[in-house]
Amino acid sequence: MKEKGLHRLSGFPKNKMGKIVGYDNDHLKMPNKIIEMGLLPETIFRILYQAPFSGPMYVEFGEEKSRIALREEEGNYIIVEDLD
Amino acid sequence: MQDNKKKQVLLVGNPNVGKSTVFNTLCNKKQKTGNYAGVTVASHSGNYAYKNEEVEVVDLPGSYSMYPSSEDEAIFSKFLIDEQENYSGVVYILEALSLKRGLLLFQQIQDLGVPMILVVNQIDQADRRGINIDIQKFSEALHIKIIQTNAKEQIGIDEIREAVFNNDFVKTGKASFETPNEHKDFVKKFASHKGLDNEYKAWMTLSSGAELGRIDSIHDLLNEADSKSLVPKRLQVQETVRRYQNVDKILADVITKKPQFKELLTEKLDKVLVHKFWGYVVFIGILLIIFQSVFFLAEYPMSWIDDFFAWLSSFTGEHLPAGPINSLISNGIIPGLGGIMVFAPQIGILLYFLYLLEDSGYMARVIFLMDRFLRPFGLNGKSIVPLVSGTACAIPAVISTRNIENVRERLLTILVTPFMTCSARLPVYSIVIGLIISDGSFFGIKYKAIVLLGMYLLGFLTALFSAALLKRFIKNKGKTYLVMDLPAYKKPLFGYDFKMVLGKVWDFITGAGKIIFIVSIIIWFLSYFGPTKKADEIVATNVKLDHSYLAKMGKAIEPAIAPLGYDWKMGVGIITSFVAREVFVGTMSTLYSLDNDAPEMKVIDKMRNDVKPNGEKVFNFATGVSILLFYAFAMQCVSTLAVVYRETKSWKWTGFQVVMMTGLAYFVSMFVYQILK
Repeated sequence: MKEKGLHRLSGFPKNKMGKIVGYDNDHLKMPNKIIEMGLLPETIFRILYQAPFSGPMYVEFGEEKSRIALREEEGNYIIVEDLD
Repeated sequence: MQDNKKKQVLLVGNPNVGKSTVFNTLCNKKQKTGNYAGVTVASHSGNYAYKNEEVEVVDLPGSYSMYPSSEDEAIFSKFLIDEQENYSGVVYILEALSLKRGLLLFQQIQDLGVPMILVVNQIDQADRRGINIDIQKFSEALHIKIIQTNAKEQIGIDEIREAVFNNDFVKTGKASFETPNEHKDFVKKFASHKGLDNEYKAWMTLSSGAELGRIDSIHDLLNEADSKSLVPKRLQVQETVRRYQNVDKILADVITKKPQFKELLTEKLDKVLVHKFWGYVVFIGILLIIFQSVFFLAEYPMSWIDDFFAWLSSFTGEHLPAGPINSLISNGIIPGLGGIMVFAPQIGILLYFLYLLEDSGYMARVIFLMDRFLRPFGLNGKSIVPLVSGTACAIPAVISTRNIENVRERLLTILVTPFMTCSARLPVYSIVIGLIISDGSFFGIKYKAIVLLGMYLLGFLTALFSAALLKRFIKNKGKTYLVMDLPAYKKPLFGYDFKMVLGKVWDFITGAGKIIFIVSIIIWFLSYFGPTKKADEIVATNVKLDHSYLAKMGKAIEPAIAPLGYDWKMGVGIITSFVAREVFVGTMSTLYSLDNDAPEMKVIDKMRNDVKPNGEKVFNFATGVSILLFYAFAMQCVSTLAVVYRETKSWKWTGFQVVMMTGLAYFVSMFVYQILK
């Protein structure tokens, strides 16, 4: 079986399904809002759009298809895996 | 006997769940709004009566959790906890499409022991997506009364009223969040030390860091293991993750889904509205439509108001007995007030558009699009809301910075927002541009319109570059980040927003009107009387304007304003308009109406023909440009200053803003006048 690669949310390809597996080892620097908004481990997501010049990412996630915007810096805290 | 104390209920929920719609349909009369253009920033309250019971509803700003990450959310948490004695309960609004996120905050409030009623709003949206919510099971799982609503269609609103009337608020007996075992002993110790009856309250106090910040006060309770593991942020994360796990379990039993669902409007619209290229085209297009409406649509009501005041002035002039009172009313007060009222339509149209954009959910997309471009200037995508609202009025714009989490970005936004061309500058710009720019046009666009657009651009660029400059001197406290909900698009509340606009315009008219009323009287007084030439008179009455006290005072400050190209009349205007920019126009109208030399002309013609003692026109091109620039930069607005002080709680920054803006205004105007003259 091919091992699924781990990535960070920023830099994850657009329109592909991914799953959040955890956060950067020290999540104390990460804004709590990320977790409060529901970007929790096991959550399935897709990056739908990104604003130009590495602007914020538009992420759709969860069963409820919530949509949030976050910057690449924030995306860097989130470890994800490829579902395809 | 009936209890005279009104029942107070709080309306609480995440942002964008339709709270305002519920509020609006619930309180159909007697609204007291503190809601401003841009975002729902301050709590506002309204009333309704149901079965002879008066109920006051307080609409709190939306929040995602009890742990605040911005000033806005801090207001929310504080109110909810500190005011517990005063309200009967919380009506909590959940959006059917995002139950999960909404339940986090719901359960936190429930665990604090607050009595609640749950409202699930926008049931229709869930239906369309094929999501079925078993309300019966849901209600049992949460131990609470649930009301289903579709506030837009007025469905379920009476059920809320009935539930409030019957006091159906439920206080849960058992907390949904249990203190993790490793902290249990300490939290219990802490609760009894503080005399808290509710364990979650103790946990929350600890994890919000309020108490741990002052660790001395609880030092004797702590052992070494506790003090190491009690990191507020870690506690918060622990709580959030556990709560979500709990919520997942509840929802798994409650929600059933059909396999297919239709693509929602939001998904279709966002393909264009947040598109790398078309997104910006649409945004600029929307701005153009707004400005086009502000300047061209508003022309008609403006000329009606103008004509009305001109008629009123001549009517009172003819029909009141001749004398000082006649002069005061027809030449002082009426032209002064008219000079301001005429701008009500422009302000109204601008505000209306801003409300609609915010309501529809579009503003969040603008933040998404603009974040990257504002960051180099030390601002945040969220700064675009204050900047755009600043084109209506800096006061609500400054207040709307409260949802910017980072302290430096918020301060910068507050400091530069007053550079945006607010509607109070429009009266000044319109008159001066009318005086100095010719009627010609360029490819069908009038020169005057181009200059006016240029003034808006100037304000925007000054705001950006001054932010970039100031950011070097302001220390960055805390991390800057952007984590923001992109709500589903909604049909805006056209009627409600219209009502809000009427209220705001009325505030503008009465607010500015009061000042102008007083200023007109003072100016009339100072211009009607003058120093006496004969020894037996105390004062001379009905003197020529040039010999009045006002002229004396104006001439005293002439040395300071002469390098900018202004005569004493403009000097008087600048001084009176320190209170508010639009007072300049009121002052000019009054001053020129008082000038008896050319009584039959319109004020603007009098201004156009006015000459300095050396024969030079008062309003020539150089002085005109100088005055435009002065008003573009100077901080001529006491109300904005008051709000800046309230929001920054700092005399240093408030004072700095006045000196920076007015200093810039003085030197730029002087420089440009000296070159152009």
